[in-house]
Amino acid sequence: MAVSPLVTAPGEPSQTSTTNAAASPFKRLPSAVPSSSTGTPMLLGHHQSQNAPSAGGGASTMTLDPIEQMNETEKRKYIKGKKLGEGTYANVYLGHSRSDPSVLVAIKKIKVQQQYRDGLPLDAIRETKWLRELHHPNIISLLSVFSSKDQNLNLVLEYLPLGDLEMLIRDIDNVTYGAADIKAWMGMLTRAVWFCHDNWVLHRDIKPNNLLIAADGEVKLADFGLARGFGDPGYKMTSNVITRWYRPPELLFGARHYAGAVDIWSVGTVFAELILRTAFLPGNTEVEQIALICRAIGTPNEDNWPGVTQLREYTVPSETFPVVGKDSYMARFGAVGPDGVDLLMKTLVLDPKNRITAKQMLEHRWWHVDPKPRSKEDLPRKAEGGDKKMGADLKRRNGLVEDEPRGQKVARKLDFGQGK
Amino acid sequence: MSRKATMGTRAPGGMGGPISSSSSSAIPDIGPEDMCPVCKTMRYLNKEMKFLINPECYHSMCSACVDRIFNAGPNQCPHAGCHKTLRRKGFRAAFFGDLSVEREVDIRRRVAAVFNQQEDDFVDLQAYNDYLQKVEDLTFDLVNGSDAQRSAAEAELQRWEAEHKADIERNRKAGREADEQSRRRRAAEQEAVRQRRLEAAREAQEEKQERARNREAELESLAKGQVPADATQRVQLKRRGQANRAVEAAAAAAIAATSAAGVVSSGDGGRLSIRGLKEKKKAPAPEGPYDPFGGPVFVPTRYKLHPALRHHDSDRYRNDSQHRTGGFSFDDYYARVMFEAFAGLGVFIEDEKEVGIGLSASEVVGMAAGLAAVSSDRMDLD
Repeated sequence: MAVSPLVTAPGEPSQTSTTNAAASPFKRLPSAVPSSSTGTPMLLGHHQSQNAPSAGGGASTMTLDPIEQMNETEKRKYIKGKKLGEGTYANVYLGHSRSDPSVLVAIKKIKVQQQYRDGLPLDAIRETKWLRELHHPNIISLLSVFSSKDQNLNLVLEYLPLGDLEMLIRDIDNVTYGAADIKAWMGMLTRAVWFCHDNWVLHRDIKPNNLLIAADGEVKLADFGLARGFGDPGYKMTSNVITRWYRPPELLFGARHYAGAVDIWSVGTVFAELILRTAFLPGNTEVEQIALICRAIGTPNEDNWPGVTQLREYTVPSETFPVVGKDSYMARFGAVGPDGVDLLMKTLVLDPKNRITAKQMLEHRWWHVDPKPRSKEDLPRKAEGGDKKMGADLKRRNGLVEDEPRGQKVARKLDFGQGK
Repeated sequence: MSRKATMGTRAPGGMGGPISSSSSSAIPDIGPEDMCPVCKTMRYLNKEMKFLINPECYHSMCSACVDRIFNAGPNQCPHAGCHKTLRRKGFRAAFFGDLSVEREVDIRRRVAAVFNQQEDDFVDLQAYNDYLQKVEDLTFDLVNGSDAQRSAAEAELQRWEAEHKADIERNRKAGREADEQSRRRRAAEQEAVRQRRLEAAREAQEEKQERARNREAELESLAKGQVPADATQRVQLKRRGQANRAVEAAAAAAIAATSAAGVVSSGDGGRLSIRGLKEKKKAPAPEGPYDPFGGPVFVPTRYKLHPALRHHDSDRYRNDSQHRTGGFSFDDYYARVMFEAFAGLGVFIEDEKEVGIGLSASEVVGMAAGLAAVSSDRMDLD
C-alpha cells in the first residue's frame, strides 16, 4: 500500500504531520484507513500505474510539505465543471482531466458535516477505502482523491452518463426490455457483487439506483458508503444497513453477524424488480417490510430457518404463510424462464446459510440457456437526463429510499460501532 | 405564303372531295394528321387540335367533332360508309400514328389478357409452343383475316375466355404481383443511387470545409507569429493526404484493370460501390459462449483450503447461535485468513518503497517499467 497517493510511507510523514496536523485531512487517513487486508498483487499493480504521473511536484509548491504537494498535483489534474447535483451529504460536479479534456469525470465533493466536524464522514472514508481497492469493470472506479479548500474531500469518479437502472425500470412508457436484457444486467450486477465478496467486501446498499450505466451500456455498482469488510468472528456489525426494500430478513431481525448473503438478497430483490418493473417488496416501515416478506416468500420459523426465533428482534405477524413454491414464482416471474425463476428463488431463500452465493449464482445454468444475454452495446438506454441522475445518485445519503412517504426523509443515525 | 396555303386547302374542303396529301407543289403538304376528316378543320387554325379514335372502327376525328356529335348520346360514325354506333366514352387519343398498328396493338392486348397462360402451366415446352402458335393464328385472323375468319376467331376467343375464367383471373393476379415487385425493386434501386450520390456530395463538401478550416488555423497561427508547434503534424497531414491519393490511384488502377478485362465501369461508379461496401456494419466478432464470470477466476495457488480448518480462537464462536443464525460463515473467515496470510507473497515491498515522493516523473516511469518487468519475471517463476 506504500504506493497509494493517499497513504504515506509509515514513519516519515509522522514527523511532518505533527507540525500542522489540521492542515490536511489526508494525514489522518493512514490511521483512519488501515492498509488493505485484501490487497493482491494485481491490485497493487494498478495503483502503481495510477500513481506514476502524480509525483512530479512543481517548484512553486515547494513550501508545502510533501503530502500537501501531492494533494496539489492531484487537484491540478482535474478541472471542475458544472454542478450535476446538490445534496445534504455531497455535491456532484462534472469535471474533466486537465491533460485530456475528453476524459470526463464526476467529482463528488463531500460536505463538512456537523456530525463529524472533527473528522471525515464515515461514508466518505468507507467509500474511499473500498473503491481504492476494488478495480473491476462492473464497479465504479475511483480515479483520484484530493482535498480542496475548507478541507473538503473530493472523490474523482469515472463519469457514467446514462443514468441508472432505476430510471429504466420505472420508465415503462419509453423503455421496453426483455429477458435477454435482464440477463445481461443481472450478469453485470452479479459479477460486481461476486468480485466484492471475493475480496471480502460487503456492499450493503445494493439497489437499482446504485447501479449506474456507463456510456457503453456497462452497469457499474456505485456508492460504497456503507461497505465494509466481513468474515471476522466476534465482531458485531450493524443490522441497520441496506435500503429497506432490499434489506434481507436477517437484518430486519437484528442479526449482528452476517456475511455475503445480505447482498445476495438485495440482488434477488433487484432481479425481481427488473422483471416486475416495480419494487418487489416496498415496505414503508420495518414491520411492514417483514410482513411483505412473509406474504411474498413465507414466514420464517424454526423449520425453514433454524435458530431464527433467537434473533434479537424476531417478530413476525400472527398470520403465518408457508414458504411459497415454484408455481407461484413462475406465475409472477415466468418472463425469465424456469431457470431464471430457479435462480431468483435461490437468492430469496429465507435462511442466509442456505442462500446461494455470488459465485454459485455465476455458475448457475441460467446464463447458458436461451436467450443469450444482450451485448452491452445493444442494451436499452435512455439518452436524456442521465447526467442529472448520476448527480442525484451520488449526492444521496446511503441506505435510504428516495422520496419516502410521510416525510421520512430524515437521515437515519447509523450505528457503526463495532464490538460494543 | 401562309394566306395562300389557307386558301389552297380550303378550296377542296369546300367541295367535299377527297383530300390528298400530295397535291400540287404550291399547296403545302397536309397529312391526315393535320386535318379533321369530318369537319375539315386544320391544325393551322387550331394549334390545340387533338385527334381521337374509337376502337370500334378506328376512324379518327378531332375532339371538337367528338364533342359536337356524341355529346347528346350514342351516334353513328360520321365517316362515309361506316355504320358503327359510337359512344363518347369509347374515344381516346391514338398512340400510334398508323391506326392499323393501333388497332393491332389493341387486339393483341386484348388477346394477351385472355390467353395469359405461363410456361409453367404446361407439361412441356412443345405444349407451350403449340399454345403460342394457336394464339398467334387466332390473333392474325382477328387482325388481318376476312370477315368470316375474324368472327370465327372472335367466337373462339370468347369461348376460351368463358371456359378458363378462373385460370385467367389467377394468372392476371400473379402477373400484377410480379409487376409490382419489379416496380418496387426499381424504385429502391433508384433511391439507393440517389442516396449514394447525396452522400458522396456531402463527403466532398465536408472535406472541402475541413481543408479550409485547417488552412485558416494555419494562417492564424502564422499571423500570431508562433512558430507552429504542430509543424510536424502538418507534415504528417500532408503525408496522409499523399497516402490517400496513392490509395486512390491504386484503386483507379484496379478499376482500369477490371474495365480492361471487359467489364464496363466508370471510375466514379467503381468508387461509389466501394463506398457502399464501407457503409456496411462491421461484421460482429464471432461470439463465444457467454462467460458469466467475465474473465478468469483467480484461485489461490500457494495454499489449499481444507474443509475442516479450525482455530482455537474462533472455536468459542462456533456454537454461538447469533453467529450461526445470521448467516455468518466460518468458511469465509478461514478463506480470508489464509488469503491474508499469503497476500503479498511475490510482491517486494523494498522495490516499491522507492517509488514515492520526491522523484521526477521520468524516474518514476522508468522505475515502474523496470518494476513491471521484474515483477512479471518473478510471477512467471512462481
